[in-house]
Amino acid sequence: MAAVATLVVVLVLFLTPYIWIILTSIKSRLDALADVPVWTFTPTFDHYPKIFIDKDYLPLVWNSLIVAIFSTVLSLIFGVPAAYVFARFEFPGKEDLFFFFLTTRMAPPISIVVPMFMLFSVLGLTDKPIAVILAHTTFNVSLVVWMMRGFFADIPREIDEAAMMDGHTRGGTFLRVLLPMAAPGLAATAVLCFILSWNEFLYAFILVAFEGRTLTVGIPGLITPHGTLWGQVAAVAVVATLPILFFTFLVQKHLVRGLTFGAVKG
Amino acid sequence: MTRVLDHGVAPLLLIPSVILLLVILVGPFFYMVWTGFTDLHYALPGRDGAFVGFDNFRRLMQDDPIFWHSFLLTLKFVFWVVLVEFIFGFALAMLLFHYIKQHRFILTMLLVPMMLAPIAVGLIWKLLLSGDFGMFTYYMRMIGIFDQQTSVLGNASLVMPAIMMIDVWQWTPFVTLVMLAGLLSLPKEPFEAAVMDGARPVQVFKDVTLPLMRPIIALVLLLRGIDAFKEFDKVFILTGGGPGISTEMLSIYTFRINFKDWDLSYGAVCAFMVYLVVLIMCSVFYKAVYWNQGRSKPTQAVTS
Amino acid sequence: MSVLFNQISKVFADGTVALDKLSLEFDKGEFIILLGPSGSGKTTACRILAGLEEATNGSVSVDGRDITNLPPRERNMSMVFQNYALYGHKTVYENIAYPLRIRKIDRDNIDSQVKKIASVLQIEQLLDRRPSQLSGGQAQRVAVARALVWTPDICLMDEPLSNLDALLRLQTRTELKRLHQDLGHTFVFVTHDQEEAMTLGTRIAVLNQGKLVQFDIPRRIYHEPATRFVAEFIGRPAMNIIEGEVSGGMFKADTLEIPVTGQPDGPVAMGIRPEQVVLREGPTDESVSFELDVLELIEPDTLLFVKKGAASMVVRVMRDVGDLDRGAEVHLELPADARHFFEISDGRRRI
Repeated sequence: MAAVATLVVVLVLFLTPYIWIILTSIKSRLDALADVPVWTFTPTFDHYPKIFIDKDYLPLVWNSLIVAIFSTVLSLIFGVPAAYVFARFEFPGKEDLFFFFLTTRMAPPISIVVPMFMLFSVLGLTDKPIAVILAHTTFNVSLVVWMMRGFFADIPREIDEAAMMDGHTRGGTFLRVLLPMAAPGLAATAVLCFILSWNEFLYAFILVAFEGRTLTVGIPGLITPHGTLWGQVAAVAVVATLPILFFTFLVQKHLVRGLTFGAVKG
Repeated sequence: MTRVLDHGVAPLLLIPSVILLLVILVGPFFYMVWTGFTDLHYALPGRDGAFVGFDNFRRLMQDDPIFWHSFLLTLKFVFWVVLVEFIFGFALAMLLFHYIKQHRFILTMLLVPMMLAPIAVGLIWKLLLSGDFGMFTYYMRMIGIFDQQTSVLGNASLVMPAIMMIDVWQWTPFVTLVMLAGLLSLPKEPFEAAVMDGARPVQVFKDVTLPLMRPIIALVLLLRGIDAFKEFDKVFILTGGGPGISTEMLSIYTFRINFKDWDLSYGAVCAFMVYLVVLIMCSVFYKAVYWNQGRSKPTQAVTS
Repeated sequence: MSVLFNQISKVFADGTVALDKLSLEFDKGEFIILLGPSGSGKTTACRILAGLEEATNGSVSVDGRDITNLPPRERNMSMVFQNYALYGHKTVYENIAYPLRIRKIDRDNIDSQVKKIASVLQIEQLLDRRPSQLSGGQAQRVAVARALVWTPDICLMDEPLSNLDALLRLQTRTELKRLHQDLGHTFVFVTHDQEEAMTLGTRIAVLNQGKLVQFDIPRRIYHEPATRFVAEFIGRPAMNIIEGEVSGGMFKADTLEIPVTGQPDGPVAMGIRPEQVVLREGPTDESVSFELDVLELIEPDTLLFVKKGAASMVVRVMRDVGDLDRGAEVHLELPADARHFFEISDGRRRI
C-alpha cells in the first residue's frame, strides 16, 4: 500500500543519519573518512576504548550521570509537593504562579547563563557539578510541577476523601495514597527530567570548568581545525545518545504529556 | 508530622520550589537586567560596571544592524521551520492515524531524532554535510543537486536552508507525536455523524478534524515557535554562526557578545531581548492553551 | 421499500461474536425496534445497516439492491447517536443544515427545510445557539432534526433517549411516536429499555447474545413470548418463572402443586405474569396458598412478593390490599390461560 511505502521512506529518512553515526563509530579511520560512503566494512571497536580510556573521557560519562541524577532528584523533591498543592488546593494567585513556573521552564538559557555564572562564582561553586545541577533544576522543577499536577489531578478527589474518612491526615493521604497511585507518572517524569538534563549543553558548557564537564560538553572539543577523529567523536556521540533512546522507549506513553506541559494527555 | 497539612498550610509546600527558582533564576535574571544599565566589559579596561543609563539600549535600537540582522534571521528561521514541521508532522500523523495499525511502535522509532542531545544532532549533520566525506553531500552530488565543489557548511547561501532542514529532521517527529496524540483523543461520534450526513473524506477533514484539532494545533505551533527561537546547540557546533554571520541566530549572537567579545553589559541587553520575545510567546501560549480549561473544551462532543 | 438482513454475522478482532446469522426483513414506514440487553448485538446490527461497521458474513439489501459494501453516504440513511454528536463549533442551524449543504442543496431551500423541521421539533428559538449552550433534551432534538431534515429512506437511532433524565425520556418518547405518525419515515430504533420498545415500535426484534430471538408486533411479544428470555425481558415487573416438572397431570415445584392439562411430562419452567395472578380474599377451589414475604405499595398498584417452599412470585394487583403482615397467608389463583410453559433446556416455548 502507498501508505506503507511512504512510511518506509519516512523512517529511512529519519533513522539513517543516526544509524550512520553509529556505523561511523565502529569504522576504521580509513572507512570513516572515505570520500565514497562505505556501507559494508569490517567493524572495529577501537575508538571506544581510545576515547574513553586513553583520552580519559570516562569521567565525563560519570559527570553527566551525576548531574542528571541529582538534578532529577532535586527537582522531584522540590516539585512534587508543589504539584500536589496545585492539583488539590485553591489560593489567590494560583494560575499566575503556575504561569511563573512555565516561564522558568521556557527561559532561554542564553539569557540566564551569564548572571548565573556570576552568582556561582560568588558562591565559589563554579568548578563543581553542583552548579550545573542547580541550573538544570531550574527547568526540571517546572517540568515536574507541570507534569505531576496533571497526574495528581487525574486521581479523583473522592480518593482523598475516602482516605481521610479511613483515618489518614492530609499529609498521610499525600504520602501513602496519592504518591503510590501516581507512581507511574512519577517514574515517567523522573525519566524525562533525566533525559533533559543529560542532553543539555549550554549551562553545562559555561558553568563548569574542565574537570566537571559533562559528555555533551565534551563533544565540540573533539572537533578541531587540525582534523577531527571522527571515529572517536562518533563513539562519544553514540554513548551520549543511545542510553537516552532506551529511556525514551520506557516513558513513551507519558512523553506527550511531559512535552506539551500537560495540555495533551496522550 | 503529617498532621501539619491539615491546618491549611499546604500551599506553603510551594515555598521551597519558589525560593529555589527565585534564587537561582530570577535573582540572576534581575542582576542581568541591571547589568544592561552599566558599562560592564571584561575585555576592555576600566569598564567595571558603572551606571550608564539607557546607553546600551540605545545602541541596540540604533547602532547595531547586526543585532537586527540576527533577529530577522531568527524570525525567518522560526517561520519556515515551524511551517514545514507542522505540515510534514500533521501529514505524518494523519498517515499513522488512518492507515497504520502499529502506530505506537512506528512512532517510537520516529522519535529518535528529537530525543538525541541537540549537540549530538549538530555533530551528526556536521559529518553528513562535510564536503570531504559527508554521506549526504556525496549523494546530493550523485543525484546532481550539488556540484562537485559545493560544501554546504561553507556556502553562505546554502547553509541556512541546511540548518532549517536539520531542524525539520530533528523536530518533525515532535509535531507528529503531539498531533497523533491529539487525533487519538478526538471523540469518534462527530466523525460518524459527518459520514452519516454524507460528507466525503476531504469534507470531514475540513469540517470536523480541523475545528476539533484547533487547540492542539495552536499548542504545537507555539511550542515549536518558542523552542525554535531559542535555538543554539546545533548551530553552535555546525557553524558557530558562520560563514560570516549568515547563520548567526539570536542566541548565537548573544553568545558571541557575552563570551567572545566579553561585552557583558551590552550582552545583557541582547539576552534580555531574547527573553522578552520568549516571554511574550509564552503568554500567548498560556492564554491560548489554558484559558479554556475552565470552560468546556472544544474537543468534546456535546453530551447531555 | 423493504429492508433485508440476510444471515448477517459479525465477529470482532478479539473473537467476540457480536451477531450470529441475523436475518430480518421489514418494510417502509415501520418503526422497528432492536431490543436487547448489553452485548446483544443490537447496536452492531444498527451500525452495520448504517455502514459504520462491516459485516463479517451475510448481506444487507434495500429494495432488492445489495448495499452491504456501500459507504454510509450512499445508503440514504441518517442516524441519531446516543451522545447526539453535534458539531460543537457550529450553531444549531448549521448543524441541521450540514447534511443539506453536503448534498449541495441551494441556500434558500436549505433555509426553508431547516426552519420547517425546527418547527416540527419545536426548536426554532434555538437555531442561533451553540451545542454547548443546549440542555440534554434540546441537544437530542437538534440531533433528530439533523437526521430528518433531508428525507432519508431510513432514520436510525442508537439509544437516543438513554442520556435523558426519566421525565424527559417519557416526554420525548411520546414526541417521537407522534413524529413517526406524522412524517411516516422508516425508523430503526435501538434500545435496552423494554418499555420504550413496547410503546414505540410497530415491530420489535428481540436480540440476545447476537441472535434474533423473536421478531413480532408488541402484543404478541408480550402475550406469546417465543422463549423464556423474551418472557423475562419484557414486562415490568418481569414474568414469574417457576421451575419444576409435570407429571401425572400436575405441575410440581417443591411444595407447589397445580393441575395442568395438555402438557407432556418432564422438567419445565412455568411462567405467569404478575398482573395475571388473581388474588382472592379467601381460599377457593382453584387457589393455592402462598406466604407473603414483602409488600410494596406503588399507588395505584400493590406488589406482593410471595413464596411457597422454594418457589417465589411477584403478584401485581391494581388496588390497595390493606395492611398485611409478613408471613400472612395469601390465596392466589394461577389461571390456566395465563400460564406459559418453557423448556428447561433451551428456554423455548412449549406449545
